Amino acid sequence: MMPYAAAQTYTAKNIQFNIFSSTPIEDIKAASYTGVAVLVAQKQEITIQVAIKSLEFDKKLMQEHFNENYMESDKYPLAKFKGSIEPKIDWAKDGDYPVTVKGSLWIHGIEQPRTINGKITIKNKVVSIATAFNVNCIDHHIKIPSIMFAKIAEVIQVKVQGNLNPLN
Amino acid sequence: MNKNKLFIFLLLLSASSAMSASAQEVDSLLKSLSNDQKFDKVEATFKATHIVLSQSTETQKKRDLDFRIRHHFGDIGGEFGNSHTLWGLDVASDLYIGFDYGITDKLTIGIGRSKHDELFNFLIKQKLVQQKTNGMPFNLTLFAQMGLVAREAFATNEFAAYGDRMTYFIQPMLSRKFSSNFSFQVMPALLMRSKTVGLNDPKELFSLGFAGRLKLNKRLSFVAEYTLVNELSRNDLVAELYNPLGIGLEIETGGHIFSLNFMNSEYINENSFIPNTKKSWKDGGVRFGFTISRNFSLFQSKNKNPDTKSTIY
Repeated sequence: MMPYAAAQTYTAKNIQFNIFSSTPIEDIKAASYTGVAVLVAQKQEITIQVAIKSLEFDKKLMQEHFNENYMESDKYPLAKFKGSIEPKIDWAKDGDYPVTVKGSLWIHGIEQPRTINGKITIKNKVVSIATAFNVNCIDHHIKIPSIMFAKIAEVIQVKVQGNLNPLN
Repeated sequence: MNKNKLFIFLLLLSASSAMSASAQEVDSLLKSLSNDQKFDKVEATFKATHIVLSQSTETQKKRDLDFRIRHHFGDIGGEFGNSHTLWGLDVASDLYIGFDYGITDKLTIGIGRSKHDELFNFLIKQKLVQQKTNGMPFNLTLFAQMGLVAREAFATNEFAAYGDRMTYFIQPMLSRKFSSNFSFQVMPALLMRSKTVGLNDPKELFSLGFAGRLKLNKRLSFVAEYTLVNELSRNDLVAELYNPLGIGLEIETGGHIFSLNFMNSEYINENSFIPNTKKSWKDGGVRFGFTISRNFSLFQSKNKNPDTKSTIY
């Protein structure tokens, strides 16, 4: 068996997350720049996570309500995605690769199997990832009271991007 | 045969432990990469800047203006209550209108006016210590308030000097969010005034308050508070005074907070209710009161970051 260290691992600690809720009445955006990721190249396996409290809103009261009333971030501090990348990529070769990542998404303590499309770009041993997908609040047991429907979308758009560097 | 089984078992065991070791390594790598300490602030120990009557350790968010209206009805029972006053609802023992504004996320200033004594109050509140998940176990906020009695003097020499109309209140508050559902606060306070109810009533009145919140669900909380003042810093008063005790429900709807309470204090402001609660829970002196609080975001935020710029159409 190949020793673990021999397989190349890529890491990142500045993954950018954007979330976006849009209704006819209000657009709400929040961003985090401190997501972390680990890519085990040999296994084609990627794990990305972000601290919910690191998502910044323009209005701090809105941010407090997001953490307290919706995400319960004291109980569920992280959102995480773990999946395997297809097709097989030659990590030594520069290039653009459209990929499909099949795995699980954990938000609000609820795991959902997800297949997410994205793009991987390799240049000078740096692996860049970019993806956009939707999160249905109900799937993760995030309840939005009906009086807030006008202001908060039931489906939240999520964008993730960042660069992973080879470890060591 | 047995040897073979043992061998296969050991092989499986080592294979599975090798696999889980790499998964563990990914987890420990993620942990070492993440900078979670930066994001372990314990927020919203209380939903509102007030608990029942007392202040909480929470402050206004930057540029947010809180418009508060509070009403205290009359005695539910006893001599002044019952059906003749519709259990106190005919009476307004005190009214309060106030504005609190967040200069920063930690510094709030405010102004208010009460019906009782036509009291104007000017307040300042600074959050000094923030509770953290790992580390700092509590919140500390300092509250100071000046009261100015604007009503006409009842007797010609009641306010011999203009300064006699002033009262000064200072209160450090210590709170802790024990779990997402339970928070508790302790608040010693000093009230300085020139008018007292008698010989045994000191001008520098020390009190000790306790308050708690029990969250019933995400939007509804049970709140309670008790202020120890009479046995603590004054005894054998001629006037009959009681320690304030209030309980209530707090409903938060995102921007609005409604607080529905029962308490024995007739008055709303700290400078009035701590020294002068004349009613008791025991003889029907309890009353209904409520607060309506509405938050407004004042001024356009200077946020230029398109990633976090929200829009209201």
